[in-house]
Amino acid sequence: MAKIRWPLVVRRTHKWLALLVGLQVVLWTLTGFYMVVIHIDTIHGDHLVRAPVVQPYDLAALTPPSRIVAAEPGTSEVRLQRRLDRPVWRAETPAGPVLYDAASGTRLAPPTEQEIRALARRIYTGDGAIVAVRLLTTAPQEMQARKPPYWQVEFAGWNRPTLYLSPQTGELLSRRHALWRGFDFAWMLHIMDYDERSDVNNPLLRVATWSTFAMAISGAWLLIWSFPRRKKKKKTAA
Amino acid sequence: MKRIRLSTLLFRRIHKWVGLVLGLQFLLWALSGSVMALLDKDEVGGHGAAMGHAHPLSAETTLIDPAGIAGLGPVSGVTLRDLAGRPVYELNTPNGIRLADAVDGKAIAIDADTARTVASMMNDAPIRDVRQLAKANLEAREHKGAMWRVDFADAANSSAYVSAETGRFLVMRGDTWRTWDFFWMLHNMDYVNRTSFNHPFIIFVGFGALWLSGTGFYLLFKSFSRADFRWLRRRRARPASA
Repeated sequence: MAKIRWPLVVRRTHKWLALLVGLQVVLWTLTGFYMVVIHIDTIHGDHLVRAPVVQPYDLAALTPPSRIVAAEPGTSEVRLQRRLDRPVWRAETPAGPVLYDAASGTRLAPPTEQEIRALARRIYTGDGAIVAVRLLTTAPQEMQARKPPYWQVEFAGWNRPTLYLSPQTGELLSRRHALWRGFDFAWMLHIMDYDERSDVNNPLLRVATWSTFAMAISGAWLLIWSFPRRKKKKKTAA
Repeated sequence: MKRIRLSTLLFRRIHKWVGLVLGLQFLLWALSGSVMALLDKDEVGGHGAAMGHAHPLSAETTLIDPAGIAGLGPVSGVTLRDLAGRPVYELNTPNGIRLADAVDGKAIAIDADTARTVASMMNDAPIRDVRQLAKANLEAREHKGAMWRVDFADAANSSAYVSAETGRFLVMRGDTWRTWDFFWMLHNMDYVNRTSFNHPFIIFVGFGALWLSGTGFYLLFKSFSRADFRWLRRRRARPASA
C-alpha cells in the first residue's frame, strides 16, 4: 500500500474547499471589516437625532392620567411626554398609541403633514432641508419587520438621512442613512440571507460556515510544512 | 513571465505569513460563526423581541392624582402602569426613579416577592433562586441599575432579570443564549465586555484578514490547472460513450 502523502492530501483539501467558499470568505472579510470600522452608534444614527429634553413638569396644572384610562378602555400604560413643548399624555391602547393634551385632557388628532414636518425638523440635528415627506402604507426594505403606515421624512445630504415618524403620535420610530443602508447590505452578505436579511440559521450559511471552518483547519495544518526550508539550510550550514 | 511568477510568490508569502500570525483568529471566526449559525435564534432569544406583557389598567379603580404625591421634588417624568396586577406611578425625580402606588400614593420598593411575580409572568417553571444584583452582570449588560435575578428550574436553566428600580421585566437568558454569547465573544474579540465590535484590536486583525482572504482568492486562480478538472470532463464523457 502506498504511503499517504499528507502534505498533498491537506493541500488538495484546502484548495478545493477554498474554491467552494473562496468568494464568500472574501465577502465575509470585506463586510466584517466594514462593520468593525464604522462605529455601531454611527450606524444607528444616534448623531442624527436630538435626545428629548429632561425638564420638570408642573403636575398640578395637568389632567390626572386616570381620566385618560377612563376614556380609553384597555389602556396598559399612560406616559407623560412633550410634543412641540406641550405636555401630552400618551396612552398605549389595544388599537395603538393615542395622545391627549395633558392640560385640557382633550384627545389630539393624528398629526398633519405640516406638524410632521415641524416634528421632524425638531428631532433632526442636521441643517439639511426636507426633500420629501410621504405617508407610507407599504413597508420599504429598510423598515424591516415594522408594520406601516408611517411618515417618511427625507432630508438633503450625502448620506440621505431619513426619519420615520408614527402617524398616530408623530413620535420617532426609526432613522436611516446611507451608512446604515450599507451596513444592512453588508449584514445581508455576511449572514447570506438575501431575502429577509434576518435569518442567521439558514442552511446555506450553515454549510458555508462549516466548510470555511474545515478550509481554515486544513490551512492551519499546511502551515506545518510551509516554513521548513530555511531550517534545513541552517542545519546543513551548522 | 518572470514578473508574474514573482507576484504569485509574493502573494503566497503574504498568505502564508498572515495565516501564521492571524490564522488562529480566522479559525475562531469560522468556528464561532459556524456555531452561531447552528444555534436556533429563537432559543437564543433576547434580540429586540417584544418583552413583557401589556396588562390593561382597570378603569374602575379610583386613582389619585400624581400631583398629590408629596416629597418627590421636581418630577421630570410620569408613567401610569401596571406592576404585578396593581396600578403604579413611575416617577422620574432628581433622586432617581420612584414608584408609588397609584391608589394610595405610598412608596413601593421592589422586593423579592414582587420580582418573583413579575418573572413568573414570563416563565411558568418553578423558581429555584432569587438574588439581588447591585448592577448588571454580563448576562444583563444591556440594562442599568440594581436588579433581581430570578432563576428557574427548567431545562434551559432560564434566568429572568427584573429591574429593582421599576419592577419591569428586563430580559430572559437561558443556556442556549449563554453558549451563543461565549461564541459571540470569540467572534467580536471583546473578551471583557463582549459587546463592542468596533475596538482597535478587531479592526487591526480584520485588516489582516482582508489580506489573508484577498491573497487566498487570488491564489485560487494560480493553484488550479486544467488537469484538476479532468475528472469533470471524464464523467461527462462517460454517459456519451456508453
